[in-house]
Amino acid sequence: MRYLTIALAKGRLANKSMKLFEEMGITLEEMKDPNTRKLIFTNEEHGLRFFLAKGPDVPTYVEYAAADIGIVGKDTILEEQRKLLEVMDLGFGKCRMCVCGPESAASLLRSQAQIRVATKYPNIAGDYFYNTKNQTVEIIKLNGSIELAPIVGLAEVIVDIVETGSTLRENGLKVLEEVCDLSARVVVNQVSMRMENERIMKLLQGLSEVITGKE
Amino acid sequence: MNRKILHTPDGVRDLYGEECRRKRQLELKLHDVLNSFGYQDIETPTFEYFDVFGRETGTIPSAELYKFFDKEGNTLVLRPDFTPSIARAAARYFVDDEQPIRLCYSGSVFVNHSSYRGRLKESTQMGAELMMDASAQADAELIAMVITALRSAGLEEFTVSLGNVRYFQSLVHSSALPEETVAELQALIRNKNSFGVRKMLEQKAETGELPEVKQELKEVLSALPSLFGGREVLDRAAALAGDCAEAGQAILRLRQVFEILEEYGLSQYVSFDLGMMSNYMYYTGILFRAYTYGSGEAVVKGGRYDLLLRYFGKDAPAVGFVIVVDQLMNALSRQNTGSFSGNSILKILCSEKQRAAGIRKAGRIREQGEKAVLHILPSEEDVLKEAQRCMDAGAVSEAEEPGIKVLRMEVS
Repeated sequence: MRYLTIALAKGRLANKSMKLFEEMGITLEEMKDPNTRKLIFTNEEHGLRFFLAKGPDVPTYVEYAAADIGIVGKDTILEEQRKLLEVMDLGFGKCRMCVCGPESAASLLRSQAQIRVATKYPNIAGDYFYNTKNQTVEIIKLNGSIELAPIVGLAEVIVDIVETGSTLRENGLKVLEEVCDLSARVVVNQVSMRMENERIMKLLQGLSEVITGKE
Repeated sequence: MNRKILHTPDGVRDLYGEECRRKRQLELKLHDVLNSFGYQDIETPTFEYFDVFGRETGTIPSAELYKFFDKEGNTLVLRPDFTPSIARAAARYFVDDEQPIRLCYSGSVFVNHSSYRGRLKESTQMGAELMMDASAQADAELIAMVITALRSAGLEEFTVSLGNVRYFQSLVHSSALPEETVAELQALIRNKNSFGVRKMLEQKAETGELPEVKQELKEVLSALPSLFGGREVLDRAAALAGDCAEAGQAILRLRQVFEILEEYGLSQYVSFDLGMMSNYMYYTGILFRAYTYGSGEAVVKGGRYDLLLRYFGKDAPAVGFVIVVDQLMNALSRQNTGSFSGNSILKILCSEKQRAAGIRKAGRIREQGEKAVLHILPSEEDVLKEAQRCMDAGAVSEAEEPGIKVLRMEVS
């Protein structure tokens, strides 16, 4: 039997997804070992292969069918704009994509001022400002600690993921506008979905049962 | 120092050696199949006026076209898609023909898609179009050609997925949904995102944007992403369509096509996908794509476009497909299949003294249909040396005459 390959976004999402798979009776002992140097893990019983990848790479692996299935945050899916089938909301990893900034920046958003926007997600930010708000902005791509940008004067506002909002509060920033809701999603390659339809649907069915059982 | 540019721009590439030879062989085989169904070759220019590929024809979005100007200031476009070109040519040259027109073609298409990242911007496509025939037989003939072509290429494990754009269209038309909502729905259904469809409809109902969506319609729309698989899908789809007559017609058409394909003896390769959507807006009826392992996307894409020729001044129904040759090559090499013949060449070594005899020998070999390379060396001694080098590299001595050596070697 051909292996079904599943790409997981490294970090919290991967741990949570593995728990889901465990509840379905799919276990990977090797993956639990924190010291392992292995990149790919196989479950012979179910004919599954798992690997961990950096979040933004998961859609790429799935688009090119290097992985049949991927588990990744909605933010990454929106940002990467790959050709994928997004088939399921896993319901965990919930957070929001927001426009944040100091209180004073709120008026700039209302007045359609030409402002600078710092973000790790230039596509999402661009789509929101240009196509939803029809506001011309200058987008500055950063790779981390986005909250710094308005404080040091690099940008007026930021577009970033907000979970609890505590980092924002500690730095004197607040949510000004909401772009969209985010959570972990299952994505599937379009060809795999046709060629391995039965196995993939069974797996998805299993996942959805575990999730609804929890709710 | 002068830095010479030796590499190709992003998105285009050189093809050589084994890979190039295989691609040619594959193209010949596919072309033979198209010809064997009686399709006539046609060539259209690589670039045409913008209007041929403009918004009205419903092909690739304008931002992804390679555009430039001629001296008079007309906008020209490198063809991103064959179908509008063929439709234009057919409308121009076969105006009075009431008989079915069968055309096939092959060549490069150019799409300037930035998000392709690592995908080719120039790719080879080979396709066929059947015009002036609106019947289900015509649809089935094209699908049978696709299956025959893929099998002749050496593929065994593949599926041709069939859909019908009229199913979704008639459902949303009967409901008078706003255009934006339809576009959103299309995107979600294309992604097989059934939870997304349900959520969107619920949200819109809450905010009052969609006051009157019938419960049945909600059900069909959220079921659409999961309406794919074997023949039983058609029964489910027909039941879900309820009293929408046109949606029922769309399903009936798929049934007819399937039955004809059974007569061809090819129905085992066919599956259904009612949620299939195309980026090309010109499709008006059945839609089909072929999928196989080793290629992240469809290797064949096609469908019916009954209104496109009207844009070029001829009212004619038509159906067609393209084989994305590069994707098919990828799939064949990853699956390690494909019936490619080897490339054995006869190498004739001779000294300058024996040149005339060498030329005669090579000519005789070529007449017999073998490939011959003539290699003339300064002296007999060099001939012996070169022969030894070739034998060391795996060549086999085939014949020997005074001062002439014939070696058989595999060239990749």
